[in-house]
Amino acid sequence: MARVKEYGNAELEEKLRDTSYYANDSNPQFLEDVKKLSRTAANMCYQCGTCTGSCPSAPRSSYRIRLFMRKGVLGLEQEALNDPDLWLCTTCYSCTDRCPRDLAPTDVIMAMRNLAFKIDIVPRNFLKTVQLIYNTGHGVPNNDVNRAARVKLGLPADPPTTHSYPEFIPGIQKIMDFYKMKENADRILAEESK
Amino acid sequence: MAETKEEPRIGVFICHCGTNIAGSISIEEVKKYAETLDGVVVADEYQYMCSTPGQSMIIDAIKEHNLNGIVVAACSPRLHEPTFRTATQEGGLNMFRFEMANIRDQNSWVHMHDWEGATEKAKDQVLIAVAKARMLEDLQPKSVPVEHSALVLGGGVGGMQAALDLASAGIKTYLIEKAPTVGGRMSQLDKTFPTLDCSQCILTPKMVDVGRHPNIELRTYTEVEKVEGYIGNFTITLRKKARGVLDPTEALERGIVGGGCNGCGDCAEVCPVIKPNPFEMGMAPRKAIYIYHPQVMPLLYTIDFDSCVKCGLCVDICGPEKRAIDLDMVDTFEEIKVGTCILAIGYDYIPIEQKKEWGYKRFDNVITGLEFERLICASGPTGGHLIRPSDGQTPMKVGFVLCAGSRDNTGGVNKPYCSRFCCMYSLKHAHQIMEKIPGAVPYLFYMDIRSFGKMYEEFYYRIQNEGAKFIRGRVANILEDPITKNLIVNTEDTLLGRPVSMEMDMVVLAAAVQPTPESEKIRQMFGVSKSQDGWLLEAHPKLNPCGTTTAGIYLAGVCQGPKDIPDTVAQAEGAASAASIPIHTGEVQLEPYFAQCMDDICAGCGLCLQQCPYGALDLIEKNGRTVMEVTEAKCKGCGTCGGFCPGGAIKMQHFTSPQICAQIDAFLLKGGE
Repeated sequence: MARVKEYGNAELEEKLRDTSYYANDSNPQFLEDVKKLSRTAANMCYQCGTCTGSCPSAPRSSYRIRLFMRKGVLGLEQEALNDPDLWLCTTCYSCTDRCPRDLAPTDVIMAMRNLAFKIDIVPRNFLKTVQLIYNTGHGVPNNDVNRAARVKLGLPADPPTTHSYPEFIPGIQKIMDFYKMKENADRILAEESK
Repeated sequence: MAETKEEPRIGVFICHCGTNIAGSISIEEVKKYAETLDGVVVADEYQYMCSTPGQSMIIDAIKEHNLNGIVVAACSPRLHEPTFRTATQEGGLNMFRFEMANIRDQNSWVHMHDWEGATEKAKDQVLIAVAKARMLEDLQPKSVPVEHSALVLGGGVGGMQAALDLASAGIKTYLIEKAPTVGGRMSQLDKTFPTLDCSQCILTPKMVDVGRHPNIELRTYTEVEKVEGYIGNFTITLRKKARGVLDPTEALERGIVGGGCNGCGDCAEVCPVIKPNPFEMGMAPRKAIYIYHPQVMPLLYTIDFDSCVKCGLCVDICGPEKRAIDLDMVDTFEEIKVGTCILAIGYDYIPIEQKKEWGYKRFDNVITGLEFERLICASGPTGGHLIRPSDGQTPMKVGFVLCAGSRDNTGGVNKPYCSRFCCMYSLKHAHQIMEKIPGAVPYLFYMDIRSFGKMYEEFYYRIQNEGAKFIRGRVANILEDPITKNLIVNTEDTLLGRPVSMEMDMVVLAAAVQPTPESEKIRQMFGVSKSQDGWLLEAHPKLNPCGTTTAGIYLAGVCQGPKDIPDTVAQAEGAASAASIPIHTGEVQLEPYFAQCMDDICAGCGLCLQQCPYGALDLIEKNGRTVMEVTEAKCKGCGTCGGFCPGGAIKMQHFTSPQICAQIDAFLLKGGE
């Protein structure tokens, strides 16, 4: 497995990088974990492309849900979990509606995100969102522009959520504390800024 | 009969089946256990009991030890019961002095990783088999004569081929077709892959042949109403649907000399009722009195009484000489006797409009493969000019959606199996577009191109070389431009890894096939099983693909599973050959598992008569008493009467109450009392 050629030149090294995957790149446990977390038979994907063809994110980004299904089947754990595209799914479930093998690719993505979070791979914006939900009960809290727009439409400035009933925020925090979400988000963000 | 009770002398033979059995069960232990059982004189084992040396062991042991019962612990009786019965017979015993213990399919294969458990279970199985073997009796198989005629249900290419083969082999054959003409699906096709023969041109000679073969009794517009009997002696009631038109023979029967329909078509010209023609997939009109197309066989008009207004114009124009039209005709019934039957009842398409993302029936320019066949066919509604249904324009970019409902595990209309001919007909469609419309480009959206037949892969090569574009991606959805009525096909080009959004002038869905709506009813009438996907079940997928588990019933064509024309014709010829064997043999042997009435116990109550599903029982007078009598050829040995009889007067041969009780006792008491 001579994968490092040592040309002594970073640019050349990258250009001539060995892009094959090898049998021991595959972690069979990864597929089992994905199946268990997603509760879908992720091993049964036959790569027809209906998912990506249905995906609203695909034409606008480099996100290809079919490739994540493939990496799941092959157990290419590192490749899947380190791919920033993993976080571009909007969870609209169009792929799940249309999958001819009756799988739930969306849930596979969610499972992979959970596995990534366990090893601290998660984009900043998701961590910031965790903090916002912890503090306000909202991923996207109300702001002045929104308040003005609501008043203009004849609505109360704040919606009937934790914004109007802040007494429910501790309940949300309790749930998040149970899963150590805030704790982990704070820790990862702190480590990152070091 | 209660003859002198002979002492049981049983031989037990245990098969290793290579490692199939010996890999999970201790053969030696089972053999030692068998030797301890009451009545067992000899126990032995061998690598393959079904081999010639294995069978010789049985034959020799019978002679050497003067055995009167044989137990083989091996595979399923469905596989080798006939083999070991023959060996038993060759050893000089009655062949029903044999009992089989299935220690492979029901034991070693299921308990592959449980050596002790499987060995214990095998001992129990041998114990139970020996218990029955101790009580086995001599039985004589019954032989019944076979009617020298056959029935073929379905007049498509498969049914016609089967009927022609049977008829040419000298067997009188009834060919039954529910539509007004034979021809089936194949007559709707324009060309056939990979040779590009005109479908009608190669089919019409067969249609003509079935019409005039002296041994074929053609019954069109006819359905099967009732099936009675058993192999060799089926009595089948046909419902001849009221066609409203007399053929020349029927006219003659009514005393109209030189009358009857001659297919002139004057009636259809004057008929005021217009309906869609199902043969043209509803894309062309027909009258209430109609023929599907000019090459129908028989050339005989048919009245659709659901839409006929009985104005009588057709009767007038037909005239007093032919007098072919009878507006008051009713369904008539005919009873036929046949020895064997072939089911060739074809297939239907799934209601593909239920896959809403592809927009069939919502978008004008989304059509199915069969509609494409009619639109491209020179004798079709457009004279062979492919046009867009929305505006009559010629499409220059045509998308083909393969696996439209096939290989789809989701619920509802979708089918998990491959429909097997869509790849090839879509390639053919692509060729036809490029041939007929210069500059037109077909785009095939596919998952896999399955071109597996003779010259099929070469055909794929040819179409690609002609300029067809192949995009590997299953179509996610189709949208319609509301102004141009063009279609936007969305998918992923999985080979490039990029989403695709392509504007097409027309889209053809290669819809999955499914069993016909009548399939379920017909299958129940003929006593044929179905597989989990609904297709009729063959007796064995490899070794008996034309037969069914009901003796005397055979299958041909797509009703058994998706097939293209060559495979359908091949299976039809196979079914015809299989169906002719009992007829040419002249008699079949029935296993003597029928019920028997013990006259001295029978009270003549007659309650069993209503229980029998086969009408095999009657009450008769015998020695001054009323007793029940079994018509052995009709009895299927189901045991319903035997279990029901309040007096225990009915004996099920080979499955007698004492035999079954002995088996249960043996298992529960383990040889104790």
